Amino acid sequence: MSYFRAIDPFPLESAEQTKLHEFYRHLGEGRLVTTRCAGCGATAWPPRGFCPACVSDRFEWVDLAREGTVHAFTVQETGLPAGFEAPRVFAIVKVDGHRVFTILTGADPGAVRVGQRVALAPLRVADDPTGHPRWLPAFRVASP
Amino acid sequence: MNEVALVGAGVSKFGVRKATYRDLIWEAGKACFDSTPGVRPGDVEGLVVGSVMPERTAFQSHIASLAAEALGIRPSALSARTEHMCASGTVGIRYAYAFIAAGLADLVMVLGVEKLNQPSGDEAILNMGTGVDREWEAAFGLTAPPCFALAAQRHMAAYGTSEEQLALVGVKNHTHATKNPNAHFTRGATLDQVLCSRMISTPLRLYMCSPITDGAAAVLLASGERARALTDRPVWIRGTGQALDGFQLTSLHEDYAHWPALRRAAGAAYRMAGVGPADVDLAEVHDCFAIAELIAYEELGFCKKGEAGPFVAAGRSDYGGDVVVNPRGGLIGCGHPLGATGVAQAAEVFVQLRGEAGARQVPDAALGLTHNNSGMGEHVVMLYGREA
Ligand SMILES: [Zn+2]
Repeated sequence: MSYFRAIDPFPLESAEQTKLHEFYRHLGEGRLVTTRCAGCGATAWPPRGFCPACVSDRFEWVDLAREGTVHAFTVQETGLPAGFEAPRVFAIVKVDGHRVFTILTGADPGAVRVGQRVALAPLRVADDPTGHPRWLPAFRVASP
Repeated sequence: MNEVALVGAGVSKFGVRKATYRDLIWEAGKACFDSTPGVRPGDVEGLVVGSVMPERTAFQSHIASLAAEALGIRPSALSARTEHMCASGTVGIRYAYAFIAAGLADLVMVLGVEKLNQPSGDEAILNMGTGVDREWEAAFGLTAPPCFALAAQRHMAAYGTSEEQLALVGVKNHTHATKNPNAHFTRGATLDQVLCSRMISTPLRLYMCSPITDGAAAVLLASGERARALTDRPVWIRGTGQALDGFQLTSLHEDYAHWPALRRAAGAAYRMAGVGPADVDLAEVHDCFAIAELIAYEELGFCKKGEAGPFVAAGRSDYGGDVVVNPRGGLIGCGHPLGATGVAQAAEVFVQLRGEAGARQVPDAALGLTHNNSGMGEHVVMLYGREA
């Protein structure tokens, strides 16, 4: 038995595993959706199954724009966790007024700028232990 | 409320330790009891253990009871473990403080312990991902350095803070650590070394970051009456505050160079103590990254917003300046064994206010502050005084 026993770093995204499974299903289809509270109409990011404003646990899914702008970013060159490659561009992207934490894929790290336009680029990661496909809401630098 | 004071403190050697959790607990526990000859393990009524991830790194839960048994403490009033990521130690001190202030205990030990280094360095780093949101942040490979790098980027853009000013925090704290035999690093660092060290996450370079460290620290807290009976130099808890802005990066203040939770936590502690930032002689601040120390100067009120870069460059946070920040070497020089850090900060204030800090003594230190955070969105501040 090897000493290194890594945990699965990705979310459990299937309908059996999370109340927010619709988010991931839509993401796999290239859409960025989030929750709108059925009680008070507040739109959240990230999606949530409980509204702190009105204490409702009912919600519907609404589409967000598939493009946004870079609000802040950093390029990590060293010290990434096992299984994640450097350099990695971590960014906060503004989408429809929400701040979305993400990575920028396919970017030249030296060319990323605050205010730059980026587009949703769902990232397929390892399937879950039952073989269910999994996606993360990554972005890429938008074509001019 | 009863008065509460520190009456003892001890710290293990910090570093990449070939030691078990139990070894580290013994080391810090012995150092703490050695500082307080009037207290033996059987006298201690309560134990709080700050420890973040023994489940991950040692396959061990139930760590407070393990520590109690290791030290021969039989808690009768309080026994608990605090996990609050990097602030676990100070959160533990607040619990012990509240119990004693409420009259529920007279003598409580707070011990912080962490064994982070593993045979595989990759594993040690992967484990740090548990401190951010696993589903929305860690799934992308996020750990602490990029979070604080976002704050540094913003501070540089908004206030003209330079890479050299960030580096000067590393130089100062590595230099302070040369006078602390328990520090992880004791060789010091020059400005060139810091500026040429490898890039971790832009703009934070290696010597601007705290390392992954193993270690333990312990302090003893007593009610006023018990404290006066045990020592003629108790170190009094004068104020405390804790505040949370948010957990996820996207819940924090939109400008990552602003940490309103730290301002609120500090404000609560200053009000409780009836003092202000100008009264503080030494501050143990949470320099997990150099930018954190700069923003702490501002939010703690040592300088105005945006002026932290010139503040460190002018030596105002060093010996001979306005306030000595991180005399033991900070997290950058001493290392950052998560649960032990807040307790080690308190231990430093203890020896400083008693005039027992040797080569790193802050002259005539009367009021000390500790600042411990868990992410950029949550902060804990304590104020300790020589006078009650
Ligand atoms: Zn609502």
